[in-house]
Amino acid sequence: MGTNTSYRLNRHYRFEKGSRKYVADIDTNDIIQVNDVEWEILDRYGTQTKHQIVEGLKEKYKIASIFDGIERLERLGQQGLLLSPIDEATAQTTDNWNQMDRKPKLLVPFHFAKEKTLLDYTTNLNRYQLLTSLAQFADLETLTFSETEDYNHEQEIFKDFGDIRIRIIETEESNTFSTPWYVTDEYDGILLLSQFLTDDPLYYRVPNIPIVHCIEGGQKLQGSLLEILPTLCAFQRANDTLAVKASWMKKWLDELGVREGSVHVIPDGINVVKSIGKSLAKQHTAALFDKPILAQQPVVGLISGFEPNYGAKLISEFAYANPHLAIFVYDPFLAVHYTNPPNNVVIYSADDEETHSVLPIFFQALDLVCFPAIPRTPLSLVLEAMAYGAPCVAMTKYGLPPEVEGAGAVVKSEGHGFGNFRVPISELSDTVNQWLKPSPVRTECENVARSLAQKFNWEKIAQEIVQLFKVVYQQKVNVPTTKSALFPSIFCRRYDLGTGIIASSVYRVGPNRYEHLETALVEMLAERHTSTEINAVFKHFRWETFAS
Amino acid sequence: MLDFPKTLHQLHLFEEDDVFYAADLDKARVVEISAVMVDILKLAETQTNEGIVQTLKTAYIEDDISEAFERLEELDKEGLLFNRGENLTETLALESDRRKLLVAIPGISVDSFFDIETLYAGTNMALSYMFQHLTEYVDLHFAGNRNRKLADNVYEVDISVSDFDRLSRSISETYFGILTLHRDHETWLLPLYQYTELPPMLVQCHAPRGHGGKAINSMLRHYAAMRDFDAFTAPSDYVREFYANYVWDASFFNTLPNGVDSALFCPMDKVKAKKELAEEVRDDRIMTLPTVGYLSRVQSEKGASVYLKLAELNPHLLFLIAGPHFGRYQSRELPDNLVYAGFHPREKLPLVYNAFDVYCFLSMSGEETFGLTVLEAMACGVPPIVPNFDGVPSVVGDAGLIADADNFDHDIGTLVSYPSPVDFSDKINLLLNDDSMRQTLSQKARERALSFTWDKTARRIIQFFEDLHQKRQLVSPNTLINVFALNPIDVESALIGEELVDQAPHRLRCKSIVLSMNEHYERCLMRDTMYPQRIEEGLVLSLLKNHTVREAEAFLTAIVEDETQAKAILQRVQTLIHATA
Repeated sequence: MGTNTSYRLNRHYRFEKGSRKYVADIDTNDIIQVNDVEWEILDRYGTQTKHQIVEGLKEKYKIASIFDGIERLERLGQQGLLLSPIDEATAQTTDNWNQMDRKPKLLVPFHFAKEKTLLDYTTNLNRYQLLTSLAQFADLETLTFSETEDYNHEQEIFKDFGDIRIRIIETEESNTFSTPWYVTDEYDGILLLSQFLTDDPLYYRVPNIPIVHCIEGGQKLQGSLLEILPTLCAFQRANDTLAVKASWMKKWLDELGVREGSVHVIPDGINVVKSIGKSLAKQHTAALFDKPILAQQPVVGLISGFEPNYGAKLISEFAYANPHLAIFVYDPFLAVHYTNPPNNVVIYSADDEETHSVLPIFFQALDLVCFPAIPRTPLSLVLEAMAYGAPCVAMTKYGLPPEVEGAGAVVKSEGHGFGNFRVPISELSDTVNQWLKPSPVRTECENVARSLAQKFNWEKIAQEIVQLFKVVYQQKVNVPTTKSALFPSIFCRRYDLGTGIIASSVYRVGPNRYEHLETALVEMLAERHTSTEINAVFKHFRWETFAS
Repeated sequence: MLDFPKTLHQLHLFEEDDVFYAADLDKARVVEISAVMVDILKLAETQTNEGIVQTLKTAYIEDDISEAFERLEELDKEGLLFNRGENLTETLALESDRRKLLVAIPGISVDSFFDIETLYAGTNMALSYMFQHLTEYVDLHFAGNRNRKLADNVYEVDISVSDFDRLSRSISETYFGILTLHRDHETWLLPLYQYTELPPMLVQCHAPRGHGGKAINSMLRHYAAMRDFDAFTAPSDYVREFYANYVWDASFFNTLPNGVDSALFCPMDKVKAKKELAEEVRDDRIMTLPTVGYLSRVQSEKGASVYLKLAELNPHLLFLIAGPHFGRYQSRELPDNLVYAGFHPREKLPLVYNAFDVYCFLSMSGEETFGLTVLEAMACGVPPIVPNFDGVPSVVGDAGLIADADNFDHDIGTLVSYPSPVDFSDKINLLLNDDSMRQTLSQKARERALSFTWDKTARRIIQFFEDLHQKRQLVSPNTLINVFALNPIDVESALIGEELVDQAPHRLRCKSIVLSMNEHYERCLMRDTMYPQRIEEGLVLSLLKNHTVREAEAFLTAIVEDETQAKAILQRVQTLIHATA
């Protein structure tokens, strides 16, 4: 169990002789003596999943002995007896939703109540909209356990999401299974939304069910993202996908060396209300903030993803360098903590329904949207801010993000991690001021910005996610499988006759010779770990990478 | 031509997809057979060849029948289907309640252990005595190629070591343990350690070093590959102490001292013994001069050249050599006081020992874990002088003299020791010139020898197996799951500007995270928790899925410089596995 290899049963014949049970492997001409539970496992092996085998036999045998039986059989398989290793692709259940012409059944294991308080308002709102739209294209289900205290409370929460089915699992006192166990047999895919590394990574241990893990770029998640992403990447198997909300997140992960093809950009949808006209919007904004400058001067919106200290510094420098501009900053953190910004600056964040409802008015007041293309910047807010016809100036080291292509310009930044963003203020000022002036290019960009609402609608986004699961199913045949080594290796010490030194080495049984430690290490790791993990290990020790 | 009726192996005949098969349970093999063969096998145990042909000729044409006979003969040659030798099921049924040990020493004829005159290597001689005494406590089954009773409680069974893997479960049902002998070149034993079902294996080791490094390397491989409930035995503490320098867990090396047949090897009338040998060798000096004895193969590694030097240094003493032949020294100009005393059958050896005033043991072979001849001499009341090297001094204790030797502890592949001729010479003269010392030591030697009994050796072996069964119960399965992930702090610094990366070479550190759910989907750690650990610990945890603790030890030695730290890592991981099992 737990290895990356799947097996199929060889052609065999089972019989009893005396009080003993045997299996004859007709392919290899071997006979293996088996015990009662192994005998029954063989009845089911190959046609049933491990989950079905255990569930089917657990009334009769201790669960541990069923697992032991499966393990013994698979160990024999490793040695070429009874079972033969097969490609992961053919190991898949044939019940492919894609061919069956039905909606995929997706599990959304989600601690709604718990996460709601940890995420900012807009992230929660986006999540709600995503699930609501997704329910049109997939059967969504989540798990809840009957012994859970807040069961009723959970049900309350799911009412909001209407179409998500709740699968209630009655857990017995004696039942020691962890949540992912209940997933092993039911679903076409798992959609993970959690960002907190609680139980969620455990789902990656459910064999053969692809996972799409949506990564938020929410500002409240600033600190934890850095910890979460490298860990999630380590968990990901060949069929799993990280869905990030912005192209710059993908670039950032690419730099980290995350496996190519495993990261997809699926932005959130955006909501655009009916326009009230720019001058009215400006007047309302100025009134609401009690700052006339917002109605009198050009308004630049800054959707911030900055590390707070740097953000405050940049905002103040930019504001002093451009006293003729009004600056509207969207930043949940600075809105609370940056209490004395320069006079021409207002800082805002939507924290509830009421504060969120006025956001479109502020966005309509903007003449230009400015944003750093870094992991913490929420793309959906950038797009919503632009959608009323404001071109953008992106601060980035990569070039204009494709999401806003044709709708603005770039100011080159240096550094691109979480706390090392740098942009020259004079260049930023020059670009901003230039883009505030009317020009045919600006007009063109305004039109592109207005069309963003159609491009990023929730229905499309939901379809893209379903498509991701579909692609994974289609690609399965191309997934290379780890072939376990023909001969076992032994990590041991070796005395070198020439030097008299005893050093660690690896001895390959079969060919009977010594080999490189690293070769055997990769082999050992490949049995149970992903190539991302193996690469990480090798980078750590600065060994040459054998894995690929 | 096969001669029916014949006793069959335990067979199960079956048909699958219109093909007939015979499942040979004794060999754990399936063979495809024809319909005629099926019918022949049904009659095989009761009818003669003619009877079978008579019965079957109405159903089959003659050619098919004879072809079937030919094919069956081929299978018989491969050791399949038909019982070879006696029908052990019947023979054994009488003594079935006794514990059984499976003895696997391929390459040495089983008979030789029970015909002691055919043996002259000390190791095999020791094994022979050990086996004989073991039968007091267990039945011994020697893995061989036919079934037969060799002696009371001793059998040869038709189980080849190459079948051990497939027969692992029935072996574990039948046998209390597997007793085997370590040899440098074997290839059959190493893969078998992977079969957790096989009963505990006790591997006797008689040569821990030498052989151009082959011995120690092979030992280190076995040490690494062994299961937690297998072990080595060696005749003296020296082997454990020797390996304690190279491995972390010397408890895998158990001391199993040889014994001596103290009824056969006993003090005799010295004058009479000398006279008898003098007559046999036709050298009267044996009766008149003080005698020094050497009983071994006459080879440099056994110290023959040192012995020659001793003879040259001491023309006033007589140096006797008893061994199979004079070897390459035959062609030398030998000192006059060196006398070849010939090769003697075992029952004559006590007389030879008794003709020695002192016994000299000079081996520098690097495989002298015990020195059986020293114990035999001691049992005859002959005080020994041995080099301060390997396991022999521990046999002698204070019942003899220990002479200096230059030991090359770091050269474990080739030359390992050189006994000092001068010190040996001094000690020989000391002993021969001091009657009371010689007498005291003679008595002590006999007394000490009496404490080394083969019965003790046999009981120790049984005890070792019992201990190993206990160890087996303490083994915990490793079902923990861990993941290797990059360290976030490193990730950030790696993404700082390129200039910085140039200054500090790109290095990403990695950690391991143990999940709260194990491979059986159980919550094995506290709720909602993932436990981070050092990458080294994670690697060991992963390694211990399919490899042994000793392999993890070798691996840690390679990646962690500080041994104390490396040992602590291994201990932490083992504890984690045990605690969460």
